[in-house]
Amino acid sequence: MYGKGLRPLSIATVVTLAAALYLVFFYAPLDADQGFIQKIFYLHVPLAITALVGFVVGGVFAIAHLRSGDRRWDAYSYVSIHMSVIFGVAVLITGSIWAKASWGHWWVWDEPTLVSFLIVFLLYATYYPFRYAIEDPERQARYASVFAVTAGAFVPLNFLAVRMAQSLVHPRVFATANGGLPNSMLLTFLASLVAIALLWVTLVKFELTAKSASGQVKRLRRALDAPAPGPRSRVAPEVG
Amino acid sequence: MPALPLDEAGKYVAGAYIVFLVLIVIYVAIMAAKLQRIEKELRELARFAESRATSDQAAPGRGSGTPSISDSLASHGSRGGGA
Repeated sequence: MYGKGLRPLSIATVVTLAAALYLVFFYAPLDADQGFIQKIFYLHVPLAITALVGFVVGGVFAIAHLRSGDRRWDAYSYVSIHMSVIFGVAVLITGSIWAKASWGHWWVWDEPTLVSFLIVFLLYATYYPFRYAIEDPERQARYASVFAVTAGAFVPLNFLAVRMAQSLVHPRVFATANGGLPNSMLLTFLASLVAIALLWVTLVKFELTAKSASGQVKRLRRALDAPAPGPRSRVAPEVG
Repeated sequence: MPALPLDEAGKYVAGAYIVFLVLIVIYVAIMAAKLQRIEKELRELARFAESRATSDQAAPGRGSGTPSISDSLASHGSRGGGA
């Protein structure tokens, strides 16, 4: 059920990623200020946006779980957050590489954008020990959903706080009058954003399919273990 | 800071894109290992179901004498973990 449409989605992701890479290296002009190093922007920023949106999406799924009690929403929430944490690792590493090349330091502590992302990342890093510290599956799902909703609400608040910090070190290219992207760069950026977002969706679907298969195997094992077959029911992918 | 020359900037850009690629490859490798484990468990379950069906055909109505799936999988050395 979860694997439905995975193949066309994977193909679309690969094609979009290839097209985005072509645009990045053969179409987008070199930045007048940063030169070739600015190419990291087309990877780093879409990854960051996708990871942050993924955290919020995880919170939305958690709300659906708390409202309905359906464990499938908890699985969606868990996998969304899990994938966003992986993307978050990529954001931190690519950001550090970009910082080293641009500013000469791997990390700059007085830059609100970097530090705020690190805070969000560390917040979500606590999701795993928090979740797996609870043994009862129902309570685990419920508490994890409460965490996902709270942390998900923190993400846009954090984003707004950074925007209001008015840093001069990290210019806001989409908002400032002098920092707007030319059309060729904007097109390349949007193509990269779509490609990375598609990658996120594909990997989420892939993970859900694997978890669902694992859950079905456990269910099959229980059914074979039982003396008489029980009533058939739709089982959510098992998280863990 | 002034823009880095292409040969130096290229190392950083390549590094960033390679890190991304490596992370994806590691993730896919972990998922592949999990899928292999699921496949192995499914094979064992199928083997057990087939052996149980054969024993049921040989002695209809008998159920208690059939070994449980846990016993059967334990004898095959399965860990029984999920993804």
